[in-house]
Amino acid sequence: MRVSSFGYLIKEGLKNVWNNRIMSIASVCVLISCLVLTGSAVLFSMNVSQVVEKVSQRNETTVYLKDSVSSAEAPFLRVELMKIKNIASADFYSRDEAFKEYKSKLGDEVFAYLEGQDVLPDAYKITMKDVKKYDDTVKQIMKLEQVQKVSDHREFARKLASINRLVQILSIAVVIALGVISLFIISNTIRATMYSRRFEISIMKSVGATNSFVRIPFIVEGMVIGLIAAVLSTAGLAFLYDGILHIVSNVTHVDGIPLADIIWYVAGAFGVSGLLIGMLSGFISIRKYLKKEGNEILGW
Amino acid sequence: MENIIEFRNVSKTYGTGTHALNNASIAIEKGEFVFIVGSSGAGKSTFLKMIMHEETPSRGTVIVNGTDVTKIKRRKVPYLRRNMGIVFQDFRLIEKMNVYDNVAFAMRAIGSSPSAVKKRVPYILELVGLSGKAKNRPSELSGGEQQRVSLARALVNNPSIIIADEPTGNIDPEMSFEIIELLSQINAQGTTILVVTHEHDLVRHFNKRVVVIEQGRVVSDTKETAQEFEFNYSTDPDAEPIVYDNAGAEEVTEEAEKAEEAAAAEQVAADEQPAESKEAE
Repeated sequence: MRVSSFGYLIKEGLKNVWNNRIMSIASVCVLISCLVLTGSAVLFSMNVSQVVEKVSQRNETTVYLKDSVSSAEAPFLRVELMKIKNIASADFYSRDEAFKEYKSKLGDEVFAYLEGQDVLPDAYKITMKDVKKYDDTVKQIMKLEQVQKVSDHREFARKLASINRLVQILSIAVVIALGVISLFIISNTIRATMYSRRFEISIMKSVGATNSFVRIPFIVEGMVIGLIAAVLSTAGLAFLYDGILHIVSNVTHVDGIPLADIIWYVAGAFGVSGLLIGMLSGFISIRKYLKKEGNEILGW
Repeated sequence: MENIIEFRNVSKTYGTGTHALNNASIAIEKGEFVFIVGSSGAGKSTFLKMIMHEETPSRGTVIVNGTDVTKIKRRKVPYLRRNMGIVFQDFRLIEKMNVYDNVAFAMRAIGSSPSAVKKRVPYILELVGLSGKAKNRPSELSGGEQQRVSLARALVNNPSIIIADEPTGNIDPEMSFEIIELLSQINAQGTTILVVTHEHDLVRHFNKRVVVIEQGRVVSDTKETAQEFEFNYSTDPDAEPIVYDNAGAEEVTEEAEKAEEAAAAEQVAADEQPAESKEAE
């Protein structure tokens, strides 16, 4: 195909979008909601995965001591703990320190009536040489009779991971449903353009235009709709993400993935998805018309 | 002379059971001017559609430009059509485009370069006498002028065949003669012309080959019978069609001879009338 023809067909596609602008805007809006929801689900999942990863790899475990262990003898357990090969360090963390820490985090009011009571046990904060040997190390710690329990932060990681899986499953369902809706709406938009251009299509076919020549402006129309939606979705999601990230990090002190690290991936994924959905819509819509001949195209 | 269109025992039965063509055979040579006449529903449109490959026969062979179009691959059809120019009764011009763009559209649709379009379109508009109307919209033109735009569009890709489906059906008689005259001039330059019409005045006025299709059969062909065309069918779709014997051209000719006597008086009267008064009718 000549370059000039290609330019002509692109121009025709752009004209289609403009001439049919109300439907085009509707299509862009539907596609934006699809892309933003999909993007949100994916970003949520990525952030949860990161938290899970961080928690899983956090090399600090708390070993709680039994109440029967007195404050005087508790510090001496360190020697026993350090005998376990995989333990790199063990720092005593007294109930008083724990109480102060919780009090500063949660406020005086909550802890006012607990003042003077031994509600928190003495503990050790240990680090391991190899986190992969977590289970074996915990088993050895539990053999020590002074130990009440070992906090398993991996349980929290597992809970988060299961939430993440649920979100992923829901996301896939939402993406499929919205993808189908987007395809349907954009196809109908293009079909409306095609109906208004049926004379042109019938004339093009009668003078010997090839199917690809007839098809290209409609595919361009779909791709332009997809691209506009992709750009707007990227901007919208970036704005939303940045805002939510800010709020979440203020409230939970959990750092999410920074916007700058993901924005170009989001833009790329949205661009490719928008173009593909638009292109596919163009293909689906024109297929019916390309099979028709003469007056059939005009509906006569 | 080489045949440009050939129908060999072509039949077409639609899904509804309608027999649009029934064992029709006809050969049209390169450079011929042929009027196709027949009552409504006789099979003329199906005949044209088969040439354009908008329909395929249920039986028989259709050869256009040396290609058996019944066997042509789907992707080759556009290239077959590039040898044809179609003129419609209702012009089928695109209202949002001016005259120039309506004509240029046919060139752009087959991927012609912008320079070729710039060169060819003004030439064709001059040929059909519409140079001064290039910027006008179709609605600003008379019926005759609109049909000339349609003709310009059909001509612009330099086809070897022009197919005009009732090109004078929507224009006044004077313009009708002009359009056929224009087609005659194009024909004189070697383009094959096929005109489907109901207007027997036109057919009589221009002394060209006339093929009559009735009930899906070629029932008369002035080339075969070497006789002048006799108007002996009704254009009223509700009228009983004249039933020709199916055996072949010979018997059809006999049928035509029987009709000749009845039509003789009308023919003589028509021949004696001056052209202007006939057009005025």
